[in-house]
Amino acid sequence: MVRDVSFGQYFPGNSLIHRLDPRAKLLIFIAFIVIIFCTFNYAALGVTAAFTALFLILSRIPIKFYFKSLKVIIFIVLFTSVINLFYGVGDPIWQWWVFKITWDGIHRAVMVTIRIICLILSSSCLTFTTSPTELTDAIERLMSPLRAIRFPVHEIAMMMSLALRFVPTLMEETDKIMQAQKARGADMESGNVIKRARALVPVLVPLFVSAFRRAYEIATAMECRCYRGGSGRTRMKTIHMGRRDVLAFIAIALVIGGVIVCNIFLGKTV
Amino acid sequence: MAFISIENVEFSYDEVEEGKPVRNAVDGVTLGIERGEFVAVIGHNGCGKSTLAKHLNAMLLPDSGKVYVDGDDTADESKAFKIRETVGLVLQNPDNQLVASIVEEDVAFGPENLGVDPAEIRVRVDEALKAVGMYEYRTHAPHKLSGGQKQRVAIAGILAIQPDCIVLDEPTAMLDPNGRREVLSTLIKLNRERKMTVVLITHYMDEAVLADRVVVMDSGKILTQGTPDEVFSQVELLKIHRLDVPQSAELANRLIGCGVDIDRIPLTEEDCVKMLGEVLE
Amino acid sequence: MSALLELKNLSFVYGQGTPFEKKAVSDVSLSVNKGEFIGIIGHTGSGKSTLVQMLNGLIKPTEGQVILEGEDIWKKPKEIRKVRFRVGMVFQYPEYQLFEETVRKDIAFGPSNKGLKGEELDKAVERAAAFTGLKSDLLDSSPFELSGGEKRRAAIAGVIAMDPEILILDEPTAGLDPMGREILLSQIVNYHKERGNTVLLVSHSMEDIARVADRIIVMNQSRLFAFDETKKIFARGDELGQIGLQVPQITRIMQRLRGMGYDVPDGVLTVDEAFSAVCSLLKKEGRIW
Repeated sequence: MVRDVSFGQYFPGNSLIHRLDPRAKLLIFIAFIVIIFCTFNYAALGVTAAFTALFLILSRIPIKFYFKSLKVIIFIVLFTSVINLFYGVGDPIWQWWVFKITWDGIHRAVMVTIRIICLILSSSCLTFTTSPTELTDAIERLMSPLRAIRFPVHEIAMMMSLALRFVPTLMEETDKIMQAQKARGADMESGNVIKRARALVPVLVPLFVSAFRRAYEIATAMECRCYRGGSGRTRMKTIHMGRRDVLAFIAIALVIGGVIVCNIFLGKTV
Repeated sequence: MAFISIENVEFSYDEVEEGKPVRNAVDGVTLGIERGEFVAVIGHNGCGKSTLAKHLNAMLLPDSGKVYVDGDDTADESKAFKIRETVGLVLQNPDNQLVASIVEEDVAFGPENLGVDPAEIRVRVDEALKAVGMYEYRTHAPHKLSGGQKQRVAIAGILAIQPDCIVLDEPTAMLDPNGRREVLSTLIKLNRERKMTVVLITHYMDEAVLADRVVVMDSGKILTQGTPDEVFSQVELLKIHRLDVPQSAELANRLIGCGVDIDRIPLTEEDCVKMLGEVLE
Repeated sequence: MSALLELKNLSFVYGQGTPFEKKAVSDVSLSVNKGEFIGIIGHTGSGKSTLVQMLNGLIKPTEGQVILEGEDIWKKPKEIRKVRFRVGMVFQYPEYQLFEETVRKDIAFGPSNKGLKGEELDKAVERAAAFTGLKSDLLDSSPFELSGGEKRRAAIAGVIAMDPEILILDEPTAGLDPMGREILLSQIVNYHKERGNTVLLVSHSMEDIARVADRIIVMNQSRLFAFDETKKIFARGDELGQIGLQVPQITRIMQRLRGMGYDVPDGVLTVDEAFSAVCSLLKKEGRIW
């Protein structure tokens, strides 16, 4: 049945974060991701964590949805932190066979965990507060200088937004086809890798056939609605940078500054 | 000239198949549609009704014959977008007509393509969503709506273009009875309250009964047309072509066959009860 | 006689234990005999789709049992696939599940999963194709070259070819025109008569159900609203109307005539029945002979 994954979902709202220019949000997000991985000590990491928390609170989206998005990646977090735990250098404080835990390893594990959590929460914050259309619109505009070198900016943005629109539809469809083939006795749960891969054919073929049929119908529907490419198009939701966007840029600048200061003056933890 | 004038249109899909003669999907149709009319076109799958619908907004061009929309020839390429602004086309599968991930952004798609001013788009989108009763769902994701709701959003997407006429190609074929009722009452409202010209392509005769005029198509040709009363009283003709007739009309027709005197074939439950009451008096 | 299929307090909850928990089927108990033609009605979201998917083990009930010939189908969860050959399921718009190079291979998918081979398999395929009225010269063409109606037939044949004891069809006539609906429905009726097995038909079309079903299951808001003989169910037109189900026009007309004091039978289902009822009234008065 339809999976309720909150990661990547959009929650309409009217918070400060919702109202930020999507271009500003996207740029800040990219800068923030870089910064997260340039933190060398707990203090610097603390600055980024505080910034993440600030954004979450300002987004006015119930915290439980953020927790749900974390739940999806809990295994990745555990896995990477365990790996890091055993990869530390220095004197072991615990050892068994080839496995050893050092203070260095513990610090690494903790830091990597916090980094991933910040990463997931901030990207959730971006997708929760920005509709796919706004996001692709922002990408289209940020990339518009590339049009000068005949890069098909509008087409790519349109492709992205159609893809985002049809992901849930195709997921539902996959589910339906799988059920139908199971009803005909298809065995998808047992056998080795090759057998399982072959069992996907009865699902993938109808899925592709239907995707092509859909593509044709969507194109017709778009033409019926006077679509003729990107030239001369206007947008209902106009975006322009305002005071709050400037504020947001100042905030991210302060975070960058803070992280640099912490990195220089407090030295490397790991 | 009628608002939409179809003059002796022939059309065949270019299927080059050996041994099979090329059959015209639309085979010499002449039909005029006036402003403000509610016309239903019924017939079997493959009778040419959907092909005809795509001729009304220049999605398809006739092999021979002409289609004029508000005086413009659909074969004139420079008029194609003007014609699509005048005649909006809603398709069968509601899923494949919605292109954006948020309802209101989808409805905005048409006017955005036309380069309408942003503030004006907002007004049009809100108004179109209210007209189909989907304003409360404006920030929802399309894939979470029911079939009937999706189809109403698709209708709103066409309304936002502000056409004079809306053509619907079997809009209810994939819907459940509730969805069908929602879409039909929306269409009736648009026709009665906003004087919107509506052309409804369908194979449900109970939907056709609601129209001002019914056109019956068979093998690419017009078999018969007239008011629902006129068309559905030809029970024998419709039965020969294996088309549905209302059960009330069928009953009346069989009673006439036994020599019972019935002057008007009833199409609705109400009329039939009245008719039977008079007969049994 | 013991029942062929028995449902005991069957319930299903989607997303159990999450904030999105939703009851789809609650506490349904009923039993179906061998050879019956059962109609299932209820509006979208009433739980009828979930209910039928539990009957062949595609969905595991969160509570209750599905008992097929005296045995709980989930007694041996590893052998649930065997149940799917015994309880065949045709989904809505089944033409979207076609995938093989030829129609023949596609129809053979189910029976060969079941273990049929060689001549036996060929026979099963051809017999199933004949039941759905699929011409034998189409068997070696690609399923994607068929017309819409033919694709639907091929897909239904793919399930019939498994020779299930119970055949479930979810809206088999959806999207077909009146002629296509009529033909397909009469083929299903023929199949039922000839094979003598049990058929469960889910449909929104009350006219179709009225014509073919012996008994009707009515679902409403995840619960079993009623399960009774067709005539008795349709005589409850008012109640059905309240839960958003409309009985056929002719049934409503005759019901109202009855209410006006005329002596017509209860639960008239077809124009034929209505015609003979009205005729016998007229004859009594000597108006016609």
